[in-house]
Amino acid sequence: MKRKRLVAAAIGIAAAAAITLAGCSGSGAGGRQTLQLWFWGAPPQQQQTMKKVLVDEFNASQKKYNLQVNFNNAVDKNVQVALSANKGPDIVYGSGPSFSAAYAAQGKLADMTPYAKKYGWEDRILPTMYQAGTVDGKLYSLPNSIEDIGVFYNKKVLDKLGVGIPKTYDDLVADMDKAAAAGLYPSVTGNQGWKPVNQNYISLFMAQVAGGKTTYDALQGTIPWTDPAMVKAVQDSADFYKKGYLGGKDYSTLNFDQSVQLLSKEKSPFMIGPSLIFQFASNYFNDKAGNTSDLGYMPFPSIEGDRPNPYATLGTTASLSINAASKNKDGAAAVIDYMMSDKFTKEMNKSWPGYWAVPLKNFDLNADEYSGLSKPFVTAMKDTIAGVNEKHYGFFVGTFFPPATATAFTDIDSVWLGKESATEFLKNVQTTFDKEKAKGLVPPIPEPVN
Amino acid sequence: MVTTLAPAPVSASTRPPAARRRNTHLRKRTLVNYALVAPALLLSIIIVVIPGILTLLFAFTDWSGVGFNVDFIGIQNFQDILADPVFATSLANNIKWLVLFLTIPVVIGLLTAMLLLRRKRIRTFYQVIYLMPYVLAPVVNALIWQTVIYNPNGGVFGLLGIQPPTAMTATSLYAAAAVDMWHYWGFLTIVYLGALRQTPVDQVEAAIVDGASGWKVFRHVYLPSIRSTLLLMGVMTVIFSFLAFDYVFLLTQGGPAHSSEVMGTYAYAFAFSSFEFGKAAAVGIIMSFFGLLASILYTSISRRELVR
Repeated sequence: MKRKRLVAAAIGIAAAAAITLAGCSGSGAGGRQTLQLWFWGAPPQQQQTMKKVLVDEFNASQKKYNLQVNFNNAVDKNVQVALSANKGPDIVYGSGPSFSAAYAAQGKLADMTPYAKKYGWEDRILPTMYQAGTVDGKLYSLPNSIEDIGVFYNKKVLDKLGVGIPKTYDDLVADMDKAAAAGLYPSVTGNQGWKPVNQNYISLFMAQVAGGKTTYDALQGTIPWTDPAMVKAVQDSADFYKKGYLGGKDYSTLNFDQSVQLLSKEKSPFMIGPSLIFQFASNYFNDKAGNTSDLGYMPFPSIEGDRPNPYATLGTTASLSINAASKNKDGAAAVIDYMMSDKFTKEMNKSWPGYWAVPLKNFDLNADEYSGLSKPFVTAMKDTIAGVNEKHYGFFVGTFFPPATATAFTDIDSVWLGKESATEFLKNVQTTFDKEKAKGLVPPIPEPVN
Repeated sequence: MVTTLAPAPVSASTRPPAARRRNTHLRKRTLVNYALVAPALLLSIIIVVIPGILTLLFAFTDWSGVGFNVDFIGIQNFQDILADPVFATSLANNIKWLVLFLTIPVVIGLLTAMLLLRRKRIRTFYQVIYLMPYVLAPVVNALIWQTVIYNPNGGVFGLLGIQPPTAMTATSLYAAAAVDMWHYWGFLTIVYLGALRQTPVDQVEAAIVDGASGWKVFRHVYLPSIRSTLLLMGVMTVIFSFLAFDYVFLLTQGGPAHSSEVMGTYAYAFAFSSFEFGKAAAVGIIMSFFGLLASILYTSISRRELVR
């Protein structure tokens, strides 16, 4: 009797193990291979868009693979831990080329160069963006979208203040002063809950004041980070902050979502920030609320008179790579290829503006075919890409700088709040950067013009 | 010829049967004991001892946290950390945190426990209310405070027209500590109340009959009676204070300008933002060192009390 029970228990355990192992294997429904993509925890409406435009469309386009997307706000940490254990999703969603370079250096990402040749990615993708994803001439990541740092404005508030849309930096500053005098926030933004928001504003000032070429030289190590042009950029960002042009006194207690809400409630005429803010804006400026046309977007006006206008602060929202441990690398490459297509770009931007300016050389989207905030977003990104093709851009820290250096730049609020000088801050950056450069962690970047 | 004074070994066959049976029984019992302890021991080794040893080893490397390309760099991580002014700020903030937690929640906890001690009928209700913030997830507590209290637009501070303390370098640490203490003191009340209830009633009554005031009864009867509980909670507070992370990370992320940085958030940034796991491990070792000191102190005081 006892023996029978033991045998039954053993069979049960074996069956459970078999079921579990079957669930863990890459084989999905209908004999298809399962492909995993871990993505950040986007709002439900945007998850639906992704499911419809990416998952359903990709799965319907072929019969070999079954794509599954897992949404999680801790995706960066989850990916980091999984990759270090040679596990994780087939398609690796990352914070940008510099983070991918760190993974590539450890052999955690697959070389995508053969797929680039197969699918002709180099011919389709903006050279700046393609090159940023390479390490030692091999491709390891492609960005899902480019982004720029610009100025969102509420036309109603500008009308109430009796000012037009600013055309120059001086106009912008004058309008912000006028707003402050009227008891409004000069502009709204903040880093509550996500300290790397600071990177947007130091990137903006490095691009606008020091220039893309100077930043490029510092990244190549041909000039030090303590170069006078860099010191001036850091100091100017601190002066800008101290004047309250970044969320007034509430920078630490506001986040992007709250800031857009304040902009929609006419508490400020401006919100300065990355173009991905469009995705938060659609919650507060929409056709249902009847205020879509109140929101406008313009590139940040050039601070230095001799700089081309507009002059982009070029970045990416995320990057896509293939896990070196994936058993379905071909399938992962097929998904990435699908995401680099004209069709995908057009469809995603219809209901999810802000996150899918796929870096195509020929970003052939007709703004007139879009409604709501997708229309100004598509227009803005077309202008940014035109500027990038002219090499008029600086670099977004989180995208192009190696990880520890990017983290060092996140500490810019120490200068803004008077805890250290611009020179001391840049000396610390130099120390961190030197170590990362010695390890070969600086991603290759194309040379822009100042 | 070699002679020895050692007794000749007794072979198993020459032992009396009763002793042999006892030995076999003891051996079996020892084996069973080991088998019973094995799962817990194995689990502890796998999830505590091995990671602990690895953390110690990684503290002397430049491990990025991804892959296995590791170079031993001696005490370089410790040198870098000690030379970093942010580390000094973090350590000082942990010490401030410790002082706050050893005073404010303890005083409030003792006071409320004493108040509840005599209210036999209603104390269960209050215990549930007091324990609520403790059982809620830190992220929920932090969100409540962030939106209802510290919000400049619609929160209590916003309505009063005062800048929230989380936004200022001088007050950000205290703002985070306030939320953590708010969630913690109720737990201390419950623990202290449980200990106070163990105080012999005859001692309390004798003191009252002798004319002792309320304060004197508390000072000379209740307080000595709950001494071991106070000591244990004190040591736990020391350990927790050096491990502080969640409320700081959720409310201020160590900012603005590192003003509320504690060693936990300092290590986290190394591990998950900079890909410098070696340095994060080094900070972790320093954090554990303070916890270890507290544990040694506790053990030594407990031993002295036992002897007494």
